[in-house]
Amino acid sequence: MSDAPAGRALRVGRRLLRQQELAPAIAIVILFLVFEFRSGEVGFFSNPDLMSSVAALTSSVGMVSLGVTALMISGEFDLSVSATFALGPAIMGWLMREWGWHILAGLFAGLAIVALIGLINGLITTYIGVPSFIVTLGMLFAVTSWNRIILGGFPVDLIEEEGTVKKILGADIPGSPIAAPFAWMVGIGIILAFVLWRTQYGNWTYAAGKYGGGVARAMGVPVLRVKLTNFVLAGLLAGLAGILQFADFGSSSVASGIDINLLAIVAVVVGGTSLFGAKGTVIGSMLGAIILGSLKVGLIVIKVPSEYYLGLVGVLLVVSAGLNARVEALRRGGTTSTLFG
Amino acid sequence: MSTETATPVVELANVTRRYGKNYAVRDASLAIHPGEVVGLVGDNGAGKSTIVKMISGYIEPTAGTIKVQGKPVRFGSPRQARAAGIETVYQDLAIVDEMALWRNFFLGQELHRNLLGIRYLRVKEMARICDEHLAEVGLTSVESSHQTAATLSGGERQSLAISRAIHFDSQLLVLDEPVAALSVRETRRVLEAIEAAKQNDLGVLYIDHNMDHVLPAADRIVIMHRGTISRVVQKGDLTVDELSDAVAESGTAAADNGG
Repeated sequence: MSDAPAGRALRVGRRLLRQQELAPAIAIVILFLVFEFRSGEVGFFSNPDLMSSVAALTSSVGMVSLGVTALMISGEFDLSVSATFALGPAIMGWLMREWGWHILAGLFAGLAIVALIGLINGLITTYIGVPSFIVTLGMLFAVTSWNRIILGGFPVDLIEEEGTVKKILGADIPGSPIAAPFAWMVGIGIILAFVLWRTQYGNWTYAAGKYGGGVARAMGVPVLRVKLTNFVLAGLLAGLAGILQFADFGSSSVASGIDINLLAIVAVVVGGTSLFGAKGTVIGSMLGAIILGSLKVGLIVIKVPSEYYLGLVGVLLVVSAGLNARVEALRRGGTTSTLFG
Repeated sequence: MSTETATPVVELANVTRRYGKNYAVRDASLAIHPGEVVGLVGDNGAGKSTIVKMISGYIEPTAGTIKVQGKPVRFGSPRQARAAGIETVYQDLAIVDEMALWRNFFLGQELHRNLLGIRYLRVKEMARICDEHLAEVGLTSVESSHQTAATLSGGERQSLAISRAIHFDSQLLVLDEPVAALSVRETRRVLEAIEAAKQNDLGVLYIDHNMDHVLPAADRIVIMHRGTISRVVQKGDLTVDELSDAVAESGTAAADNGG
């Protein structure tokens, strides 16, 4: 029976469905084709200016979503990443402007502070036992307040305009309309994907997300340390995303990164990561971020009023979560009735 | 049986665990020898799970000592207990559904090589070893160790956890209600896996509130009641029928006392 063509096709089909990046990848192809052919002469992927915008939008949400993905796989949330996103450039720009720090010193100071924010989130969650949802919501308010104190309501400019460091962080990739932050996202995303897929730390991250880490703990995995590391990673990558955007745009403000905490969660869920932990990929999250970026630019191009964007994001979120649940039921052997039979 | 003379793999000597004024376990002594299956039976609240938690490193005894291979030990964490060769299989906390079988099998003790400080997983080797051990405990329906644990039945999951203990040369396998909510066929599968562990000279501590579950597997049955060991029955001493009666009696006695 198992050698019958139908059986084989079913197995291949199941294996494809098991690849959680498949659905977002198909969605991207469809979006790109629709936008390209509905936008007339303007084009979509044939238009370098538009691709530049898509890449810029994608790289911010995408970079933030990388750390959030690892953290969510290990069973925790971080709602404070939008404030951390603005804090990185605020610290960096302020140190350079007020104290004349070198751009590199400002960069590392900014990264150290955002990593520290992640560490505090993690310590309160793991050692005191406050749910990360609450801890990071509190941190969101606290850091937003801190951003306002540092910047005082004004944007901060990146003083050093044409230095090598700024170019590496934020200039366009030579010969392309895409700015460097997109390459940073892809590079760090691939490294993180590898770490999660093929290292002991990755294995521990997935296991830590199941039953509050109960299984992993019974197996001797240092669950608290794994979660703590992922909190630091989420803070660090959110701050780095803010700094990369700072280098690209040349200025930053308290409003930078607003809503990016929620958009990152949308990207993560659209990419197939489970809100219950133990399942997900960072590649999927990057694809989710590309969907969000393309949607925002594409809707404008095909003359859909921009008011519709957030509504579509909401529909996208719920539909993908629903599809993930159905596919999961199918993977478990299809004994429950599903949309796909 | 040679088990009488061999050093017990794990021994509890007059172990007590107190929470404030309440004794969860009081002055309990218990030894498990290599290749021996000891059933630990009692109602809810009898102190079974407190014994399990002490042996597997979640809590420390208030008084008394735990010995592994005759040497007194103190476990500060489950990790230390596991390092000492004690593998505990919990009913609900044994397996991560979403992860591949080989990932579950090697969780916490992954084979790896160091690449610039990064612990890179030796996937092929782990998958091969996992496949071999699945066959050993009778998990022949599994196609590949790359499938997720969600594809396994309840009994198969317990068998996977038991095969893991055999592979890692554990001294003692602690099973917490391994056949609760399993069908007869699934239960037989788990008993086969326990037999495989026994053949590999592991000591097995089998905890269940239901005597009928423990009876077919255990060489010796320890009955707990209100934190103390109320009776120890050698399987060889009595026939199965007599044993059932003994169990029924002690169950009735426990119910009377408890009421």
